[in-house]
Amino acid sequence: MENYLSTEFARSGPLLLAEALNKGRYKTAQRVFELMTPEQVVDEVKNSGLRGRGGAWFPTGIKWSFMPKPPLKGPSYLVINADEGEPGTFKDRAIMEKDPHLLLEGILIGSFAIRAETAFLYIRGEYLTAHDALATAIAELEQAGFLGDAVFGTKHRLRIVLHRGAGAYICGEETALLNSLEGRRGEPRPKPPFPAVYGAFGRPTSVNNVETLANVPAIVEHGAAWFKSVGTAQAPGHLLFGISGAVERPGCYELPLGTTARELVEKHAGGVKGGKKMRAFIPGGASTGFLPPEKLDVAMDPESLKKEGTMLGTGGIIVIPEEISVVDAARVFSRFFRHETCGQCSPCREGSAWSDQVIARFQRGEGQREDFTLLEEIMRGSKQRTICVFPEAFAGPLGSAIKHFRGEFESAMTTQQAPHA
Amino acid sequence: MSGSGQAKAEGLPQALVQALPEALAAELRALPLRYPQRRGALLPILHRLQEWRGHLDPADMRLAGEIVGISAAEVFSVLSFYTMYRQRPVGRFPIGVCRNISCWVNGSDKLVETVKQELGIAPGEITADGLFSLQEVECLGSCGTAPCLEVESRYFENLTPDKVRALLARLRAGASDPAAAIRSAQNEA
Repeated sequence: MENYLSTEFARSGPLLLAEALNKGRYKTAQRVFELMTPEQVVDEVKNSGLRGRGGAWFPTGIKWSFMPKPPLKGPSYLVINADEGEPGTFKDRAIMEKDPHLLLEGILIGSFAIRAETAFLYIRGEYLTAHDALATAIAELEQAGFLGDAVFGTKHRLRIVLHRGAGAYICGEETALLNSLEGRRGEPRPKPPFPAVYGAFGRPTSVNNVETLANVPAIVEHGAAWFKSVGTAQAPGHLLFGISGAVERPGCYELPLGTTARELVEKHAGGVKGGKKMRAFIPGGASTGFLPPEKLDVAMDPESLKKEGTMLGTGGIIVIPEEISVVDAARVFSRFFRHETCGQCSPCREGSAWSDQVIARFQRGEGQREDFTLLEEIMRGSKQRTICVFPEAFAGPLGSAIKHFRGEFESAMTTQQAPHA
Repeated sequence: MSGSGQAKAEGLPQALVQALPEALAAELRALPLRYPQRRGALLPILHRLQEWRGHLDPADMRLAGEIVGISAAEVFSVLSFYTMYRQRPVGRFPIGVCRNISCWVNGSDKLVETVKQELGIAPGEITADGLFSLQEVECLGSCGTAPCLEVESRYFENLTPDKVRALLARLRAGASDPAAAIRSAQNEA
């Protein structure tokens, strides 16, 4: 299978509409609007096995099938989650900066599939260059009649509202994003109700990630069988693997799901920078935690990584070189999660701050034996006790650090015995 | 004062909009129409006001609240949640150095040190001439082009201390028009 996500990534600026049309873009969207029914699109995507690339890996077609069917009692919305903020993740940015029309064609088809006449594209505030590329591309579509009151000259209507966030990692959580879109603090909502029932502005909403939607035009064009011909049985298709940290050639690599971490790091990214040894790697963004180099042969798909006690997350691999201690790297994350907790649930607000203090203690060489127990208790006391999965996110790097690299923490302990030890 | 360049906003307190350029006031009034509920326009309104003033002060909070129909206190509750909204003035070139994992692994602390040495300011501070301010920020999504810093959400990537020194000099030289200086520095980078 040829690459279908990253064909424009080598460009310096965005692919504009005229050139996109020369490459055959929007033919699939036009065919969908002119000839297909929403059910046919949902079925094709369901059959393809496409799963959400934002990190949760929920089947996209099934998510869409939860949306209301006629007779509709009011508007439904598509919300695009472009709030990419998981450290180690920069794939959605590449799509939006280089190939905004790939995403927009996916948005057209996705909106049609769920019968939405408005799509809100929520992009993180810092992605101003991507925002500008999208604003231009949306204006091009309006001009061309691919958006508006008669999409492709059909009776279908669609408008896309481009909306900037303002700096908050938690807004990548879909219900926090909805609150933020509504002009509120970006605090996650208790579920149920799920967005398909009560989403943006109280209306049925499907929230989909940028890369997920970027897969949709190719799936509808070539069919579910084509899509399932690569990747794993449970997670078909290509993924944009981000590889960063201490590697020779960091970047976004489009490869089938199930490619090993070793192939990604050693073959594609050129191995550890400067020919050094690897101390640890992170398979799929900050919240997936640390793995030792012995695990490099793990296949990068949700099921294989689950077996290793972690997750595929966003597929953003981060390589930690030999000269950096896992204690120091864990501190970067504990400080980050302490900064980014929204604060509405006490176990998360307090747990993220306490765990950061404990890691800081190890970093100063003042860790104590009972700090291991304390970290375990913080993680146990906050997981599944909050509105969203943020405690699971901060427990990822902490739990894996003290599991796989316990020796490093033990040598970062104070030589003085605590009085009550 | 009723100069033609000033806003004649309908339904907005005249004292609050008087200082706004007319085009901006008109844009702010139109933003709520894009959303099913007026309040959806709050973040975009705050972004536009901050672009204009450089930060957000209590008058901006009252104005934003009037436009979307909530109190200034509630506006404050919202804007204080987000790191990009500034409650006090920053430098004409606010510099944000990413300190998260991939930038840090690639030497972001050296970038912070360079800015500190060149400008004599620590994170959270503004230079005496008001040109620069410095802060450390979390992941900017520039992990594949690390280390990175941003100036008004414009990214400078694959940086070294030398490149940072050159960037600061270019920005300083273009201080009379910060937006243009940032753009031209990006083009040269």
